[in-house]
Amino acid sequence: MAVSQPTQEKESEDCSLLPLVHDIIKCMDKDSQDVHQELAKLKVKIQEAREQISNMPGVDSSPLEQQQQLATLREQVRTKNQLLQKYKSLCMFDVPKAS
Amino acid sequence: MATVVEKSTKERLLSALDDLEVLSRELIEMLALSRNQKLPQTGEDTQILELLVQRDREFLELMETAQQQGKVHQEMQLLEKEVEKKDSDIQQLQKQLKEAEHILATAVYQAKEKLKSIDKARKGSISSEEIIKYAHRISASNAVCAPLNWVPGDPRRPYPTDLEMRSGMLGHMANLPTNGVNGHLPGDALAAGRLPDVLTPHYPWQSSDVSVGMLPPHHGNDFGLEPPGHNKENEDDVEAMSTDSSSSSSDSD
Repeated sequence: MAVSQPTQEKESEDCSLLPLVHDIIKCMDKDSQDVHQELAKLKVKIQEAREQISNMPGVDSSPLEQQQQLATLREQVRTKNQLLQKYKSLCMFDVPKAS
Repeated sequence: MATVVEKSTKERLLSALDDLEVLSRELIEMLALSRNQKLPQTGEDTQILELLVQRDREFLELMETAQQQGKVHQEMQLLEKEVEKKDSDIQQLQKQLKEAEHILATAVYQAKEKLKSIDKARKGSISSEEIIKYAHRISASNAVCAPLNWVPGDPRRPYPTDLEMRSGMLGHMANLPTNGVNGHLPGDALAAGRLPDVLTPHYPWQSSDVSVGMLPPHHGNDFGLEPPGHNKENEDDVEAMSTDSSSSSSDSD
């Protein structure tokens, strides 16, 4: 947990556009010619973020809907397990007593 | 109350990214314009910057949510695979149960049929003594088996006798003579054993009471079956075959 937390934060920071905007403003303050390069970086970053979002699995639904689907699936597995147990525990050779 | 459809995380992410793009462009353009024209800052750029920071934070939160959803998605895929496996197991079990049901239904049907036969047999039951008596009656007349000391010419033989052979389809097809052809005795008389006393022979295998009314020797028993040109060897064959017969006709008496 202690290891995964900084990793997650790092990943989130990687997605942020603010550092690039900050770099652009700095270049503008300095009247640097690198501003165009920085602007291009920002465009590329935005484009990459779009592609990344499009390829992300499991984001086609809201978290709430996803939790509902997950609960439904768990319920299905539980029901099917019960059914299987019921089938397997059937007494095939239980002969009813003759009246 | 109208149901509010919550937007998917992807839509929210893309929307946030669009907002970030627009806000950052606007901020940069505004700053560039103000620096080029040496205009005083109106405070609008500060608002845009605040909005940009806020929207960026939301975007990061959404990205975290999306990553969590990715993990949940993996779990869901595992669960879906498990559901498929369970479905296949259930179908297999159902198939086996159907087969077992079919086998059991067949067995039950056969058992019911047997019970019906048993009931039927019980209703029309015959005592074993009566059956034994009947068997004695049949065997006493040599209807099912020739005597142990039987030799060709002995009329004590099992069915079919000449009468049955003549009255059967084969006898009719051959259009055999039935009444004194070629000096032979009539078939009816042969079958009934009604012979003149002078013709009645006495054989060593015959007891005194059995010999009365027996058929004559010399294959008198086979006269009716003998077609024209029939020789003695063939006659012996026919008799031997008849002796081997294990026919148990119930008409003997």
